[in-house]
Amino acid sequence: MELLHIENLSFRYPKQAQDVLRDLCFDIPQGAFVTLCGPSGCGKTTLLKNLKPALTPHGQKTGTILYRGTPMEHLSDKDKAVKIGYVLQNPDHQIVTDQVWHELAFGLENAGFDTDTIRLRVGEMSSYFGITEWFHESTDRLSGGQKQLLNLAAVMAMSPELLLLDEPTSQLDPIAASEFLNTLKKLNRELGITVILAEHRLEEAFCLSDLAMVMDEGRIIAFDDPRHVCQTLTDTRYAAGFPTASRIWQAAGGSGSCPLTVNEGRRMLADAARPAIFPLPPRSLSEETVLELKDAWFRYEREGKDILKNTCLRVQKGELFCLLGANAAGKSTVLRILAGTERLTRGKLLIHGKVQKPKDPDAGRHIALLPQNPLDLFLKDSILEDLQDMCAMAGYAKEEQESAITQIANDLSITHLLAQHPFDLSGGEQQKCALAKLLLRRPDILLLDEPTKGLDAFAKNELLAFLSSYIRSAAGASTKRGMTILCVTHDVEFAALAADRCALMFDGEIMAAAPPERFFAENHFYTTAASRISRGIFQNTVTVAQVCALMKGNHK
Amino acid sequence: MQNITSGFGAFHPLALMLWFVSIFIVSMFSMNPVITLLSFAGAVCLSLARFGLRDFFRHAGFYLIMFLLIALSNPLFSHNGETPLFYLNHQPVTLEAFFYGLETAFMIVAVLYWFKCFNVLMTSEKFIYLFGRVIPRLSLILSMALRLLPAFLRRYRQIARAQKAIGLFSGKGWTDQIKASAMVFGALVSRALENAIDTGASMLARGYGLPGRSHFSIYRFTRRDLFLICADLACSVVVFTGMATGSIRFFFYPSVRCSWNAASYIVFAAFALLSFLPFIIECKEKLTWNYYISKI
Repeated sequence: MELLHIENLSFRYPKQAQDVLRDLCFDIPQGAFVTLCGPSGCGKTTLLKNLKPALTPHGQKTGTILYRGTPMEHLSDKDKAVKIGYVLQNPDHQIVTDQVWHELAFGLENAGFDTDTIRLRVGEMSSYFGITEWFHESTDRLSGGQKQLLNLAAVMAMSPELLLLDEPTSQLDPIAASEFLNTLKKLNRELGITVILAEHRLEEAFCLSDLAMVMDEGRIIAFDDPRHVCQTLTDTRYAAGFPTASRIWQAAGGSGSCPLTVNEGRRMLADAARPAIFPLPPRSLSEETVLELKDAWFRYEREGKDILKNTCLRVQKGELFCLLGANAAGKSTVLRILAGTERLTRGKLLIHGKVQKPKDPDAGRHIALLPQNPLDLFLKDSILEDLQDMCAMAGYAKEEQESAITQIANDLSITHLLAQHPFDLSGGEQQKCALAKLLLRRPDILLLDEPTKGLDAFAKNELLAFLSSYIRSAAGASTKRGMTILCVTHDVEFAALAADRCALMFDGEIMAAAPPERFFAENHFYTTAASRISRGIFQNTVTVAQVCALMKGNHK
Repeated sequence: MQNITSGFGAFHPLALMLWFVSIFIVSMFSMNPVITLLSFAGAVCLSLARFGLRDFFRHAGFYLIMFLLIALSNPLFSHNGETPLFYLNHQPVTLEAFFYGLETAFMIVAVLYWFKCFNVLMTSEKFIYLFGRVIPRLSLILSMALRLLPAFLRRYRQIARAQKAIGLFSGKGWTDQIKASAMVFGALVSRALENAIDTGASMLARGYGLPGRSHFSIYRFTRRDLFLICADLACSVVVFTGMATGSIRFFFYPSVRCSWNAASYIVFAAFALLSFLPFIIECKEKLTWNYYISKI
């Protein structure tokens, strides 16, 4: 029997003209692992919240949701809370208490379990999830990945039958995200928990899923085995986030069953293609060095450990330089130093060939830093007010202000967002507005801190298009000179598409600056899925587009 | 420093709290040099056992200055007593006032040392747990507040850093700096409210508000705790009775004088046990440990 049976479910928020969910009909079988995907605003979150009675928003709801054959409304309050677990997107905001052990016990306390039961469950949970090491820590000292794992464990402590997760990995780095997804799969496989996971990162999620559901504009576009979904939707705009192997498979002719993992992709490609070499695109690097770190050392505290150790970095004018690396490698610290909010303990920082001295009134005029959370840049109640503030600070004349804002809003296509509150925008929209604010300062160096964090495939492509066409060609009227961009990221796929040069940062050192084709081709582990799939068959191919281009004419 | 959950710190919060309450009350209100010296010795021994010799010497200066300030200021300002030692500005500096100063100084420094141990042994969690027994909802609120505060600070720094990089804090005068901080703070408050929606959702999703909420703690009440409470109560009863009946009364003015009898010595013995109990527990734990190691 199916766990959930949903019939003609529609939902409309108050005072809205359109339904967010439109006439949905589907069944979720007991013990299934379902990945729910689709562009931002397609109704994923609303659907999940409708499946969790305590979180169902106010609005007009029609249709029926049966939980094991009983209408959802007829479940007892305790069952509604205990049987259906819900994990939200932001790891930080959903933690309630200050101690790890207390957080694990929170749900059980609410359900009124006695001390001995709670003690046993908490112990069980921390053993199963590997929390024992930091069981006595305060929740504030955990990493993002640990926090999200704690949230999952705290929900699992109530032993739910159904787990709903709303983009739980979007704020995590790739390694923590992968660990989290594998923990979910383990729960599903070993305990038979039914999982519904809304996700952007389909590369891994699809491999773990029994079923994939694609939604758009409140409707279900496809609900099937992930292979079938990839097969049928491969030519549509939804395919942007699908696993690399499936996209290459399509270009290779699409015969046989659709591969999802890198391994399957490799076998498929080896059968379908002859070895070939991708001609490296000509790249010319400017002679002029814009940013330079010379033998830089840095630590946050006098007795602290060195974050930067003899770091050297040169960024040439007009290039997009991607700095990759794991957590705590010192990437964000480099950006802070370049942006002038931290000072080197030893070594030199040169901007446009000039040594930067502290207290220089000119310092930081050329540089703009986009923080990891774009919301940090907004202080006012509407985007427009913030942009006006920026104009005043950047010293625009009164008459110039309006035209400058109109211009930049047009360039970034955010004119319709200007009157809105920053909190009401999606992640991608927030980022575009933040970029607009930064560009009003007329910087010639742009620093980006994890710009793809939390973005869906569509917003990522938009960012990519914006960075490559608008800024780098300097076609826009607001930049006369070519802009230089330094981007710090975990996202190897993004770096392979966007960068002129990539470098790896590890243990306070920056190494191996090279064009992405060479950088990723030389890396065996820390590289794109396309590179891992095509390795040994094609040379120099690191993106799906490159593999696909080489497929033409090299069929077996 | 040692693990806070070892030795004396391993006791149940209730047992610890009761013990500290009795030691604080007796130390502060007895005004008897024997009691004060015993309390002082007990406090110093416990801090030595917990924090080590190095920490003791590092902070000894502060306690010494406190001690001297209190001990010397009393004879300078109080001229009671009948045994003048010498005259300062035509005012007598008396032996009795000098003794009284010494007594007060020992008492205050002893209490400071106890307080230092109290701070480390009674962590915020234990405190919350104790209050939670009385008002269950308060303990959750305290726990949530303790969680929010560091998050608040961290987010303030994060926003301020982002704003500084785009020139918000570049104003020269202090008014500009304050204005900028106020703007960041305003944004911080609205961000916190926004985030609280998520926290609320997470609480609701885990069944907050269901009837019959229980109260969990990781502390177990064991026989050891019962033993500590019994020992504490027994000693305290003896000491308090002694204080109430005046058998350990001690006079500084007009001349130093005491009226002790056999009962007084029982009181002193009881207080000595109370005061050195944590030190004995710490030492016993270390000795048994060393004993086990030597057997291996």
